[in-house]
This record gives sequence, structure tokens and C-alpha cells, in this order.
Amino acid sequence: MPLRRTWIVGILSFVLHARGEDAVDYLRDVKPIFAARCYACHGALKQKAGLRLDTGEFIRRGAKDGPIIESELMRRITSSDTDERMPVEGEPLKPEQIRMIEAWLRTGAQSPAGEKPEPDPREHWAFKPPVRAEISGFGSRVSGSTNPKPNPIDSLIDGDLTPQPLADKPALLRRVSLDLIGLPPTRDELRAFLADDAPDAYDRAVDRLLHDPRHGERWARHWMDVWRYSDWYGRRLVPDVWNSAPQVWRWRDWIVRSLNAGKGYDRMVTEMLAADEIAPGDDESRVATGYLVRNWYALNPNQWMRDNVEHTAKAFLGLTFNCAHCHDHKYDPITQQDYFHLRAFFEPIYVRQDRVPGEADPGAYQDYDYSKLRKIVRTGMVSVFDKDAAAKTWFYTGGDERNRQTDRPPAQPAPPAFLGGEVRVEPVKLPLSVSFPGAKPFAREDETRAAEKAIANARAQLKTAEVALAAANEKFSVTLDESAAQDAELAMRLAQAALVAARAKRDSLKARVAADDVKFLGKPGDLAAVAKTAGESERALALAVAKVAAIEAERAVRAAKPDEKKKADAELANATKALAKAEDDAKKPATDYTPLSPTYPHESTGRRLALARWIASRKNPLTARVAVNHIWMRHFHTPLVASVYDFGRNGSPPTHPELLDWLAVEFMENGWSMKHLHRLIVTSAAYQRASMSPGRMEAEVVRDSMLHLAGKLDARMGGQELETAAMPGSNRRSLYFACYPEGGGSGEFTGVFDAPDPNDCYRRTQSIVPQQALALTNSKFVHDCSEAIARRLTGEGAEFITVAFEHLLTRPPKREETDACLAFLTKQPDPGRARESLIRALFNHHEFVTVR
Amino acid sequence: MKPRRQFLADLGMGFTGLSLGSMLFRDGVARAAAPDGQPQFAPRAKSVIWIFLSGGYSHIETFDPKPALTKYGGMTFDKTPFENPLNSPKHHARFRSVAAEEVNVRNVYPTIYPMQVGFAKRGQCGVEITDWWPHLAGCVDDIAFVRNMWTTDNDHFAENQIHTGRHRLDEQQPSLGAWVHYGLGTMNENLPKFVVLGGPTRSDTRLSLDSLYLGPQHAGVPLAIDPKSPLPFGVRDARQSEAGQRDEYELIGRLNQLAAVEYPADADLRARIRSYELAFRMQASVPEALDFKPESEDVQKLYGLDNDATRVAGQRLLASRRLIERGVRFVQVYPSAYGTWDSHQKLQEKHAQMCAGVDKPVAGLLHDLKQRGLLEETVVVFCTEFGRTPGLELRNGGKDGRDHHPHGFTVWFAGAGIKPGIVHGETDELGYHALGDGHYVTDMHATVLRLLGLDGRRLEIPGRKRLDVDHGRSIDAILA
Repeated sequence: MPLRRTWIVGILSFVLHARGEDAVDYLRDVKPIFAARCYACHGALKQKAGLRLDTGEFIRRGAKDGPIIESELMRRITSSDTDERMPVEGEPLKPEQIRMIEAWLRTGAQSPAGEKPEPDPREHWAFKPPVRAEISGFGSRVSGSTNPKPNPIDSLIDGDLTPQPLADKPALLRRVSLDLIGLPPTRDELRAFLADDAPDAYDRAVDRLLHDPRHGERWARHWMDVWRYSDWYGRRLVPDVWNSAPQVWRWRDWIVRSLNAGKGYDRMVTEMLAADEIAPGDDESRVATGYLVRNWYALNPNQWMRDNVEHTAKAFLGLTFNCAHCHDHKYDPITQQDYFHLRAFFEPIYVRQDRVPGEADPGAYQDYDYSKLRKIVRTGMVSVFDKDAAAKTWFYTGGDERNRQTDRPPAQPAPPAFLGGEVRVEPVKLPLSVSFPGAKPFAREDETRAAEKAIANARAQLKTAEVALAAANEKFSVTLDESAAQDAELAMRLAQAALVAARAKRDSLKARVAADDVKFLGKPGDLAAVAKTAGESERALALAVAKVAAIEAERAVRAAKPDEKKKADAELANATKALAKAEDDAKKPATDYTPLSPTYPHESTGRRLALARWIASRKNPLTARVAVNHIWMRHFHTPLVASVYDFGRNGSPPTHPELLDWLAVEFMENGWSMKHLHRLIVTSAAYQRASMSPGRMEAEVVRDSMLHLAGKLDARMGGQELETAAMPGSNRRSLYFACYPEGGGSGEFTGVFDAPDPNDCYRRTQSIVPQQALALTNSKFVHDCSEAIARRLTGEGAEFITVAFEHLLTRPPKREETDACLAFLTKQPDPGRARESLIRALFNHHEFVTVR
Repeated sequence: MKPRRQFLADLGMGFTGLSLGSMLFRDGVARAAAPDGQPQFAPRAKSVIWIFLSGGYSHIETFDPKPALTKYGGMTFDKTPFENPLNSPKHHARFRSVAAEEVNVRNVYPTIYPMQVGFAKRGQCGVEITDWWPHLAGCVDDIAFVRNMWTTDNDHFAENQIHTGRHRLDEQQPSLGAWVHYGLGTMNENLPKFVVLGGPTRSDTRLSLDSLYLGPQHAGVPLAIDPKSPLPFGVRDARQSEAGQRDEYELIGRLNQLAAVEYPADADLRARIRSYELAFRMQASVPEALDFKPESEDVQKLYGLDNDATRVAGQRLLASRRLIERGVRFVQVYPSAYGTWDSHQKLQEKHAQMCAGVDKPVAGLLHDLKQRGLLEETVVVFCTEFGRTPGLELRNGGKDGRDHHPHGFTVWFAGAGIKPGIVHGETDELGYHALGDGHYVTDMHATVLRLLGLDGRRLEIPGRKRLDVDHGRSIDAILA
């Protein structure tokens, strides 16, 4: 060891000499190494072995077992034994870092007096409640004079800025329209706005946009990014549903509706986590739990839980709880145990399917079975419910659920201690319509109506078959074609059997409903008797259905081509066998029957509601700040806290802490109203300035705006997601097209403009790539839109150019621009094509895809 | 007090994914943290052809023959003189089912299935490979085989895993090609830097070319071997004349230049102007690169373009050569369709046919690269997502196939910076476990990056901490 040390020192003096420096500087050379590699375990967050390394004094003091500066520190960082070597994780320290530490120790481990230790992690700014700063005069210090309406945002942001003039009216209208409804103003809207001289013209425009139903669509897409909206996927081309659910689009429509209705953010968060507990029986709200359904992964429920934990923490709290899955968090005071406490809120859940009025019964939710494909069920709705109140949350090590520690008590639901706040988990009683949805009047009515309709259809078909048989018999007397007559005879028998089956279905339905009345609705009656009647009616129905199947099989045999004969014969044999069994069954007495729907627990644990209330609470220091930051970023193209899903100690500090806090408090004090916040932001001088940090239109906005300007945009809202392959031929808004993290999960056109990655889109990327240029010059879509616009717009020459600029870019052209366009138009041999080409050139103008 | 423009630029620049890598680096737009497009140390290779065979070829019947299997065929593992591989702790340590334990249907197969093909020593180096590679047998002296690969997934998500380095249940990471794209500048601005040919054909394997948080500009660009429509939106609309489009592009350029006068500090605007110049040229360059007309008949034959069995693979590999010849950095090529090597049943028939489809084209590629001197600057990787079980697959009454096997498989490297004619690593005598530490799939990534002069750890971007396992360790034993 002494030898080795001499060697190290030798090198070191060479290094120092070469650098022209005399000594190691603790603050410059040593402390950053400890900070980067050691503080996580030996600093304010943790003091493993009783050791802190965050000040020179602490280092000299040593660990609980004794000092370290003599030899232990060097021994540990240079050890070749990986069990001994520090840091435990990651690569060993680099030789030059080791040399630096060694030199510092050798020269006496000096450090400046008064060195401050790392602050207590619980004192981190984001973990303290936001406090509203006092604003003197409630106005703008600098640009208040240019904003007719003083706005507190300006008071808080102007301090470090030189004043700027406000944007002109056209630029402002374009900006605020794109921001609030995701579409640029048309030329007519621009004209109307310019003609409005009233001082409150802008405020009224803002109000109009905030009340436009397209506002909900625009901001829904933003929140769908944050909340990771995804349509079903897994093996979409097979198809085989592994992730999310085919009815999850109802959650998307709920987002649009909720935003348009001005529902508070706190309420939205609560419904997404626990609509079934805060509003049991309210199906309109229950679809909000699509937020959790979206994370569903059929192959591995543990993964479902992991995603629920990770993304609830990231989306609502700005915390990277996922880092505590395998070990205690390296930066924030989140222990691995805390991770499992958070998970416990979700542990009892499962997915259910329910019918909705006017749609076929989706049936019970299909459990996972490797050998069966998971069918795409398109009717009804999906939501989560507490299936197993006794489900246990086992702690496991190493991020591998195979290492469950079943000898430890299971984790109970609890929020992390450092954020304080109590949760009271109280079970929620559920109404009958939830525990037995078959009791809902509409379900019975829909079924009855369908049964009656089926009878009417069967009757009509029987009539048709009778007429056909009569005709065939008449014809037979002339042609003696026995085969045709036999076919008609068989068709007749089939129609008769079908009518019997349709009636049996209605009768069975009546009997089941009667039994349900006694069994679930508390109507008087002998349950055993009504159950027996219902069960037997089901057997009678099964028999009638088997008869239909047997006749159909008989018909198939007659119609079979020679090469299909064998198969048809086999199927007939099967059908005959099934009929015999149904006949047997029908003779046996029944004791039970199938209720009109599956049944579910009468109670929910209340865990998720407790979590939701804790998150969407005025006392929670993170929730409002995180939401406000997301909203701010989408107006200004840049967030106040750059790490939008990490407000922890490893995240970025806010650029404007006072502003962030002021907005967070304002938000909470105004019912968590997003529209209030939007209005406050877009009426600030900061927002209305001439030079705003530019952003690029999101993929959806590029496409929607082009359709809108071409007068083609389809205003229909909502509904099942449309396949991206159908995008080129459709004029629906882009948010209604399938969005999932696999091939085909974004449109070909929107894909080149950074369509969202539904697995991770807390912040959209904005790229500039040649493929965008190709899409905007070559796609059939851009050619079609250009053609439509060229046809609609009036004027020739310079007049046309002005109209085109105003329509596409919301401003008149400058003289040089008119000149360039005129020269272009003149040069083109075909004036019609030239106009289209000019429109297309404006779509390709950087200004078109840019929001300034 | 900061000038406002500076303030806004600081706020706005952080995330706007300005792409067109080298151009922006040249313009000094990108921030110091981003790579400068130059290798971080002296590179051995300029470009990569990454050949991926989807479905999992049997290491045993390709490049890692195991006569012991034939000898003990039909016996259970515990009846052989060797340690029973089923009892090895490596099972738990290296393997993780995506499906929860209660639904995972893949189990260990205890009955040894004999080798389905003969093998012999080939080349000067004497490496043993099977008889299904008559053409590749002539190239083994240029190849470094790595026989101790392992991965952690026993199902086909492993196809993404070999490209991204992450198991399906882990946080996903960008693909290797995307990291190369991110780390290195372009050598031909008129072509994409990261091209994908022939795949991935399945929606759930798109991760194999994805760039995720690096930004979509770094994702692989799938090209079709069809000069008429090789890339999306790559062909002028029929309504427009060639001259008309040229004029339109000129007008776009002119209008954007005028805007640049107004916004001299707008880096996005400059990037967009450049993107149009590139797009216009790309529209011509891509079809040119994928047009085989200039290739002689001999060359076309070398790749097997004259034969139905080898044509598809041959076209994709010939296109790969033409692309790297023109400066494309990373070509990820799928000579065969998704899952086609997956031989749960009828392994002999399937593998014989699949090998015959790629043997000649791959050998042709190596010959062609060599004779053009391109093998000195290109590294060729040949791989699959996992091996196949030494035991007979028994599911569904199986009697002639092997199941997925993540515990040991073989890949190979050839070309720039690679030691030619060597075998590195081994599986146990039954072809079950990769011996020693073996190599996890990211070791292949580290190897490729190292040859290109990149260190994955230095490519990491702030706020996106990667684990050690994401970086892997380069397989130094095969480096020249």
C-alpha cells in the first residue's frame, strides 16, 4: 500500500504541475465528485454507516465506526472487491478523481470554514406549500402601461425583462386561436376582429374561444399527452388486445366534455383515480377511470400496478416514484417501502365492462388466457373497480416481483411521509346498479326490445319462407324440380324453428328478469322457484337454438360443393349431437339460472378515493404547481419548471418561483378552474407581447388547421377511435384517430410531425426534419387542401396573394413577399395550378407551422 | 436584466429538437451537452450493416453445433454425464418471463433433441458451422463468431430487446441505430442516416427502430425497395409537373429567406430552410440509391437476385451496400419476415429453407463489401433475438422443433475493426447456457458504438439516466 501511494502521489504531482496549479481545491476539485457520486447515501438524504460527505467537517468527523480520512476512504474507493468498493453502484471513480481525492487527503483535507451542509430534503422548495407573494398595486411594473388590463402575471414576470411592445392584432388572434382551440382564425374571423375597435375586443375573443367546444378538444389532446391516453394495443394487427381497452375512447370523450364544462382540475383528477368511489352509479363519470384502464397489461398484472404508481406520481405529483421501485430514491426522501405504500392504493383493482344504453351487451370482461386471443369488444364501457378488497401488496426486492417478501407484513395504503397529510380510507357502499348492473331499467328494456324485434324479424322471415315455398311448389308442378322445392321446404322449417327460438329467448328473458327481481331487487317471491323457472327457460332456449343450428347444418350439407362436403357432414354430425344433448338437458330440472349481468362487490375499499383526495388537496404542495406548469408550458412553449414530471431535488428549479406559486394558489382558490387560468394567462402582457418564444404546431394542429382552412374540417365530436389508415380520406379532427405506442399508432402524415408517444409524452418533442417538407409538398392531403382553398379564395394577382396570406398566415403579405409571389405566378404556365402551388408554398412557410 | 430575446432563447431552446444533426452542429446551434456529430475517439468503422433474422434461429443448427445432443438425443438432461443445465442458478439470474408466472406457458424441456443437420470445420480458422451455410462457409475467415450471447426474455419481445437493450417489463430505451444517429453526424445529407429495410413488419416491433426520448428525428427511416415509392411522401403528386415543383420549392425558400431577415436569431427557421433543401435532394437521392439498374449482372447474381428463393434477401442486402456506400451510417436490414425463423415444429424443414434464403445473399454481401474495400470501414452484424432450446419442445404434442431459448445463442460480426476468423465464447456442451459471464445484448451495442468511436455513457442526455446494463461492455476479444 505505501508503495502504491507513492506511485499515486508521483502521478498527481505531475498532473498538478502540468496544470500549473499548486494544490487541490476542495470546492472546485473534490466536492463535485462527492456530490455526484456519494451524497445520495452519505448526505442529507441518508447517512449510511453514520457517514456524511457533504461538508469537509463531516468528512473529517468520519463514520460511526471511526474516522475515514486516514485510510478507509481511499481503501474503499480503490478497492477491487466489488462488495467493498464505493460507490456501490455504477462505474468506479475515474483514476483522476481518485488522485484528486488522494491529493486532498494528503494535503490535510482542508475545507473552507462555514461550509453549509446539504439542506434537509424535506425543505426542498416543491415540498413546501406554495405561498402567494404580495404584489404591490396588482399591476405591471414595466409593461402595465401597454396592457389595458393590469395582470398579476406581469408584475411577477417583468422584473428581469426589458419591456416589449404588444403583438399586433392579427398575430395575437392567430396565437390565441391556435392556443385555445387548436385552429387558426379564418380570413373572415380575422376581418371581424380587425373591425372590432372596442377596447374589450380581445377579451371577448378570448371568451368566445374558451366557450368554443373545440377548446375542449384542443386541451383534451394536451392532457391526453400528460395522462398517457392510449387506444388499445398489444398485437393490433392480429388482433389481440393486450394493453388498454377497445372502449377506452370514452375516457377521451369524458376529458373533452369535462374541459368544455369547466370541471375543476381537482375533480377531474379525483374522477380519473376514483370515479367509481366518489360518484358510484354515475356511468358518465366512471369512464374517467380509463386513466387506470389505459395501463392495463393482460400478460402481467404487476406491470399494470407499476404503471399506475409511476404515472400517477409523475402526472399529478411531479415525482419519480418509479425510481424507488428497486431501491430507496437517490434524490428524494422516498423509500422503497413508500413505493409499495403508494401501490397499495391500487392493489384491489380490476377491469370491468358494462353495457350502455342502445348498445349490445359487451358481456363480462375477458380474463387472460394464453391460449386465447383477447377479442376486441367495441360495445359498452370499461372502468376499474375494487375486485379484491383483501389483495395484499407484497414488498419485493430488486424490482423483480418474483422476490416477494411474504414474511414481511404487506404494505398498507399510505402517501409518502415527507409530504405529510393524513389519509382516511373508508369503504364506500355501492348501489345495486353498480353491484348488479343487470338491474338497470335500460338494460332490461334494451334486452326486451331486442327480443321483441327478433320475434318480429323471425315472423317476417317465416312469411317470406311461406311465400317462397308456395311459389316453389307451384313451380314444381311445372318443372318437377324436386330439389328447389326441398330447399324451400328446408328454409321454411328453419324459419319456423327460428321463430320458436326467438320466442324462447323472450320468454327466457322474462323468466330471468323475474328471478333477478327476487334475487337482487328484493321483490317478494320464492327464489328457488323463480330460479328454477328461469333456469328451465334457458334450457328451453338452448334447445330451440340447437334445433336452428341443426337445420342450418342440414342446409349447409345440401348446399356444400363436393370439396366442402366432408366438412359439412362433420358439422351436421356435431349439430345433431349437440341437439341430442340439449334435448336431454331440457328434460332435467334446473336449480339455477344466469342473471342478466355479472355481479360485483357491494363495497369498494375507498383506497383510491383517499389517494385522490390527498392528491387533489389544497394542502398538497405539488399538485397545483405541477398542473399550472403544464398549462403554462402549453401557452408559452416553455415551462416554468423544465423537468415537468420531476419536481424533486433532481429536477430543475423554477425559473420564476414566485410566479409559479402565485399561479398555483390562484388556481386552487378559484376552484382549480383551468379556464380561469387560461384567461388569466392569455390576457397578460407577457402573453400578448410581440416577440414570444415561438413554438411549432403539434402534429394534430398541422393537420386540423389545413382541413379547417380548406373548409373541410368535420365538426362531429367524439366516438370510437378511427383507424389511422383512414386518416387520408377523413376530415375528422386528429384527436379522434387511433393513438397507441406501436406501428400504426399514429398517422403517416401526423407521424412526421412528432405525433405523441403515448407511453411518455409529458412534453412533446418538436423536430424539424426533411420528411416534414416532403409531407407538406408531396402528400395527396396537402394537394387536396391547396386545391380546395385555391378554388374558394377570390381575386387575381396581388389581390389573390393578399387574400391567401390573410387566410393561411393571418396577415397581409409584405411588399417583397407580394413581389416574389407575383413573379412566381407569372412564371407558371397553368394559372390554376399556379394558385394551388402558391397556397401550398404558404402551407410550407415556416410561419404556417410556427406559433409566434 | 437580460435582453428579452436572450431570455426567451434560453427558455425555448432547451427542448426544441432541432435536428439535421451535423448541419446544426456546424451552425453552432446545438447546446454544448449534445454530441457534436464527431466520434469521441478514433473510430474503426464508419458505418454499420445490422442484419437481423427475426424469430430466433437455432444456434445449434447454425453456428454452434453440439454433437452431444445427437449423442444423447432422446435422453433427459439428468441422464447425461454433464451438469444438468436446468438446475443452474443462471436460469433465475438471466431469465424473466414477460407474462406473469401464473400465465407463463413456456417451461423447460427436459428431453434432448438431436441436431438436425451435419456440420464441419470451415475455412483456415477451422470454425465449425452447419451444412446449411454452403456460401457463408467460404466467408468464415472474415467472421468473428460470438457463441456466448444471452438475453432475458423468452418470447418475441426479445426482438425489441436486442435493439434497445431492455426487457419488455423495463422502461424502454432508444434503439441502437437511434443512438448512432444521435451521436454521429451525417456523411451524406441527402440520405437518412439510419435506414431500415424489410421490417420490422409487426406493429409491436417498432421499438426496434424507435428513438423515443431522443426525438423522432433520430428514429430509423424505413425504405421500400421500390424506386417508384421508396419513402413516405417521397414522390411528387401526379397533379404537379417537375418544373412546377422546382419553382414551388424556390418560392418556399424565398419566402422563408424573407422571414429570416425579420427573425435573424430564429434557429428553427434556419433549420427549416435547410430541411427543404435536403428534402428536395432526398427525393432524388433515395430512389437513386435503391435502383439496381447500374449494378452489373454479376453483382446481382452474387446476391442471388436471379433466384426466387434468395431474391428478397438479396435485394435488401444489395440495397444495404448501396446505402452505406453513399454514406448512410446505420442500415438495419431484415432479410426475412417477422418470426419466420421461429421453429417450434418442423425445425429441420424450416431452418433448411430459411438458411437457403439468406446464405448466398449474406455471403454475397461480404464478398462484395470486401472487393470494394468497404469491409474495411463497415462493420457487419448478423443476429437474432434468441437461440432455441436444446430440449425438444413438447407443447401441443410437439415432436420435431425447439422452443425459444434466451440462455445461449450465437451472433457474428465481420468487417471494420473485427478480428477475422475467430470464435469467442461458448455455451455448455448441451448448448444450453452461455458459459462464464457471457454477453448480454447491450454488449453488442457497446461493441458497435466503440467501433464507431462512441461511448454510450457519454451520449447520455440530462434527465434520462441510463443504467449500466443499457451500456453494456464492448466485446474486446473480437476487436482487431
